[in-house]
Amino acid sequence: MTASVDAGRHRAGPAFLTSPGMRLVGKRLLLAVPIVLGVSILTFWVLNLIPGSAAQQLLGPEATPAQVRALELELGLDRPAVLRYLDWLGGAVTGDLGQSLVSRQPVTDLLGERLAVSGELVVLAFVISLGLAVPTALLAAHRPNRLFDRISMVVSITGLSVANYVLALLLVLVFAVQMAVLPAIGFVPLSQGLGENLRSMALPAAAIAFPLYCFYTRFLRGDLVDQLQGEDYVTTARAKGIGPWQVLVRHAFRNSAFGLITVVGLNLGSLIGGTVIVEQIFALPGIGQLMLQAINTRDFVVVQACVVVFAVVAVLANLLADLLYAVLDPRIRYGSR
Amino acid sequence: MAVVDAGPALVEPATAPARSRGWVGSLAVAVPAGAVALIALACFVGPLVLPVPPPIGGSVLESYLPAFSPGHLLGTDPNGNDILARILYGGRSSLIVAVTVNLIGLLVGGTLGALSGFAGGVVDTVIMRVLDVLIAFPSLVLTLAVAQSLGPSQTNTILALAFFSIPAFARISRAATLRLRELPFMAAAGLCGTPGWRILLRHVAPNIAPQLITFGMLGMGIVIVIEGALSFLGLGIPPPAPSWGNMIAQGQQSISATPMLVVWPSAVLFVTVLAFNLLGESLRARWSGR
Repeated sequence: MTASVDAGRHRAGPAFLTSPGMRLVGKRLLLAVPIVLGVSILTFWVLNLIPGSAAQQLLGPEATPAQVRALELELGLDRPAVLRYLDWLGGAVTGDLGQSLVSRQPVTDLLGERLAVSGELVVLAFVISLGLAVPTALLAAHRPNRLFDRISMVVSITGLSVANYVLALLLVLVFAVQMAVLPAIGFVPLSQGLGENLRSMALPAAAIAFPLYCFYTRFLRGDLVDQLQGEDYVTTARAKGIGPWQVLVRHAFRNSAFGLITVVGLNLGSLIGGTVIVEQIFALPGIGQLMLQAINTRDFVVVQACVVVFAVVAVLANLLADLLYAVLDPRIRYGSR
Repeated sequence: MAVVDAGPALVEPATAPARSRGWVGSLAVAVPAGAVALIALACFVGPLVLPVPPPIGGSVLESYLPAFSPGHLLGTDPNGNDILARILYGGRSSLIVAVTVNLIGLLVGGTLGALSGFAGGVVDTVIMRVLDVLIAFPSLVLTLAVAQSLGPSQTNTILALAFFSIPAFARISRAATLRLRELPFMAAAGLCGTPGWRILLRHVAPNIAPQLITFGMLGMGIVIVIEGALSFLGLGIPPPAPSWGNMIAQGQQSISATPMLVVWPSAVLFVTVLAFNLLGESLRARWSGR
């Protein structure tokens, strides 16, 4: 991506690539590199602090010191941490994240399937939460402080106070135990039919989506009301005789969308880590579950890879938000700001 | 009850428009503040003055007693321990962890952020870059790793969570300080030759305090939820010591037969977090004058 920005600059190619917006994105991307590096070093350091060798853990308590030593040599665990980190980094930039200490499978293979499950979960949660939050916020902001607005605000502050594991168990209790309409645990891959797959994803996705829905509704409603009350362009639009819904949707919402995009970008990053506990409750084979297992078995190579994936997703999500800004907001695109 | 009294007093530095809200505004602060005070009172003083059995060491013969059994208002868990007692003692550890983590975040993060925003330049860049790394770091991972390495305990939970409250507070403190720096009275203080540390202490600190305290209230809710999550995964407060998170985890194993084992601690967790969130929201509404 950096390459395309640079190329754009030198060739003076399509106007979009040389625009200040793209330059901003290029700059952000360069700034992201030290952040991802920092995260990987910090993880490596923290994992090295953990007492008890991975070899000992793998062989079990009955292993003789000689056996442990042999395995350590085999896995390269006897070498200094700095060298091991550099080795890992060298592999990582070429797309090789090493081998799992436990299953000896390449980490990239393990991550692939897991990421698909977590990715589906997160995408579903975002589609549900945003799909419901935008209409709710518009309806609420249409008549602030009226009944619908009040109810939606009560719902969202209540929803924001429910821990996702509590919500998950509540959903299990109602839909799996009492009504028995949805499975309590387990995952059905997409290859066995979309319907079954969605059924197995419904409760976990809802558990993640509901707090997000509450958050977005609150955020968007607040921003919309601010726009409607304080902004000159709203007064202008109203003076032109544009109807209240038009002003709300075509004028205020387009401006409020920016704030929403930032928040979604920030959420997306933290969310992929936040799926750990929901995946655990519903026994979904996602990346969060993989990481939890890896931490318990001291499979540091896998933990390291998971953390770096989380960090990269977080950084990319923020970057995507910046990019969307540039696409949506002409002021940024043309650099008049 | 002290918290309720502190409510209006804390609002003193508020700007004029907030006042017009009148009693509805005060009620919005007083009700959640009262709820928080009541919960704290119940957890810390309750077991001392009420006839509550000990939270651990129950007899298996008394396991799974239903609610309203003699001597056990909310019944007992699979180990025959009194559920009410476990909720009260569990609340103690939740509140201790949450208060400590937020105090550390407020003091350390608040100072770093104010310093960063006030000094600008290299200091700002260095502090914010380091904090950016911490923010990009998936918090649960480090917490899990720390818990795993040092062994689950209350102190380690506090340490791990403090790692993440510091950058959050620092960001807010820095943003508030930057806004403050533009104001004339800051320039006046500088022109009077007031040393930097004194400006920070006497002019910056009191002005950013409301925002930090407001965030601290929301932070209380967040930390209580995360601490519950850690204990739920078995990496926070280690059983048999009670915590809301490990009670919920224990209840999950028999959720279809005895759902109340999950419902009681969940309900208390929810009410506590809700009270802190409402308190944070109404304080913010007051202080921002909206």
